Amino acid sequence: MGTKTMKIAATSRNIAFVLAAGLAVCTTAKTASAQEVVVTGPLAGAPAAHKLRLYREGRFELQPNVSFSLLDEYQRTIFIGATLNYNISDSVALGIWGTFGAVKLTTALSDHIQTEIDARHCATNAGDLDCRLTQVNLGRTFKNQIGSIDWMAVPQLTFTPFRGKIAFFQSLFVDSDLHFFVGPAFVGLSERKDCTTANCIKVPSGFATASRTTITGAFGLGLSFFTHKWGALALDWRAVPFSRNIGGFDTAGTGPNKNFPDNNISSDDRHFRFNQFVSVGYSIFLPFEYRISE
Amino acid sequence: MNKSRIGLLLVAALSVLPASALAAGKAKAEAKASVGVGAGAGAEASATTEASGDESGAAAGAAGADEGNEPEAADTGGGGLEDICKIDPEACPKIDFDKEAKKSLGEQIFAVQQVYALRVRRFELNPYWSISLNDQFVGHNGPGLALNYYIFNTLAVGINGTYFNWFNSDSRFNADVRRAVRVGVPLNEYDWNAAFNITYVPAYGKFAGFGDFIFQYDAYIVAGGGMISTRPIPVFDPDYRNFSYKAKPAGNVGIGLRIFFYRWMAAILELRDYIYQEELENIHADWPNSDQSANCNNTAPVSHANQAYWICQKKLTNAVQAQVGVSFFLPTTFNYRLPK
Repeated sequence: MGTKTMKIAATSRNIAFVLAAGLAVCTTAKTASAQEVVVTGPLAGAPAAHKLRLYREGRFELQPNVSFSLLDEYQRTIFIGATLNYNISDSVALGIWGTFGAVKLTTALSDHIQTEIDARHCATNAGDLDCRLTQVNLGRTFKNQIGSIDWMAVPQLTFTPFRGKIAFFQSLFVDSDLHFFVGPAFVGLSERKDCTTANCIKVPSGFATASRTTITGAFGLGLSFFTHKWGALALDWRAVPFSRNIGGFDTAGTGPNKNFPDNNISSDDRHFRFNQFVSVGYSIFLPFEYRISE
Repeated sequence: MNKSRIGLLLVAALSVLPASALAAGKAKAEAKASVGVGAGAGAEASATTEASGDESGAAAGAAGADEGNEPEAADTGGGGLEDICKIDPEACPKIDFDKEAKKSLGEQIFAVQQVYALRVRRFELNPYWSISLNDQFVGHNGPGLALNYYIFNTLAVGINGTYFNWFNSDSRFNADVRRAVRVGVPLNEYDWNAAFNITYVPAYGKFAGFGDFIFQYDAYIVAGGGMISTRPIPVFDPDYRNFSYKAKPAGNVGIGLRIFFYRWMAAILELRDYIYQEELENIHADWPNSDQSANCNNTAPVSHANQAYWICQKKLTNAVQAQVGVSFFLPTTFNYRLPK
């Protein structure tokens, strides 16, 4: 009986010890779990994003936009246009951006040149040194010879690899994405038409512009801020690099590397420019409802 | 003796038991809260936790839900999934748990995200390269350094300075215009600028890249005042005129974007408009014989070398600069006020 009692007591002690130790270990583990949720089991390796609002996937995007040319020397242009995209997935879209130059504004430099033209009175003072040396380059009305971009059509592939949200003033939270686009660009532009010396100095015909179309590439990036399920404010920067003669001047055509004026207006007088535009628009997504990922 | 040991162990067990219950309860509570966040209330979660976002919230929510469900599954005797399969075979989960369990462990996610990088009470050291954007004739580029101290997480005071002297560059456009139309334009070059600034950070956010990684960014506005040292480049009468640099008061406003690589390092892109009254070279030089307008100060001209006629016009000038650089936050580590 005594032995049995001792065995029971020993067993009780062992059980109590194990229980106490077990509880202590479990408690420590649970406390750690409350601090940091360690993903184990089926969720290990699961994507960081769940239940994403798929703003783009399977939806058309129609975006009326206004674009502004940047860093212009002689003339600023405000374009009115639109973008139409079909979003194949939430990160890839096919579409087209089209726009035309609606408003053209001369810069201070153009106005300064016009003031000089007016001051020289070359029509009645043809023998003046300044008039003789600039007779190929300056007509009577400078803005009529400035090169300008009239329209652009850019079929483009849009990638949206980055998506997230932005907080304004710690109170307004907006879903947003960062997208990149690239595609061929068809550009209609006006620039001073080609001429040779005798024709170039005729006023005004020698200083008239002619239209041409050039094909180049376009690329850029933009931000979308989703204000509604069906709409987003869009801000894009776009570069359409190509060569053109922005001032209608004879600046090249002869000498080493054709770097000196030849008294002709030709393609040699076109200089490569990194034509840049910033666009502001509002995207309307169709259908109006988006899907939510699993 | 033995009884006293048992007693001590039991007391120890009982004393930790409430803590254990508390920890478990808290974990469940957080898990449930996370489920709510994951169900689409990311904005609300963000409101209290610095834009934690749907993504992390959802992930955390899912994790929390899993965590929270475990005890309940245990209560049913462990046959939960089998029961579902018996009742509705189509709803039977087809996840290979053995395969999933072999995936690497160790990734940590948190029920509530904290601000990635706290700025408050930290210094920001920002070396940058400045590029002029709106002067087609002379490029004003150069290195600069900014130092800010964040009084609050969204507000900083600081200074910045840029050195231009070695890096002013005459553009080809300048030569083309002068040669083509024989029109001179007053040109200026910069020596340095320095400013005292106040920075406000109204917006911050994050992007998930390719569904794989997340980077944090913020946007800020900056305004300040200081000095800029510039001088005209002699264009119209270079044989006689030679200008010295002169410091002028300049205000500035700007916007910037900061993309964090680490909690102590970020890339910076900033547009800053330095606004000041520029002194322009007198475009008239052919006097006293033919061009009386050169006599801008309306006094008797003496000679070309008379400096009183070198500068006739002052013009409010906007020097728009793109400043690209890297930010280092010091100290490199910081403590959150509240736990995760």
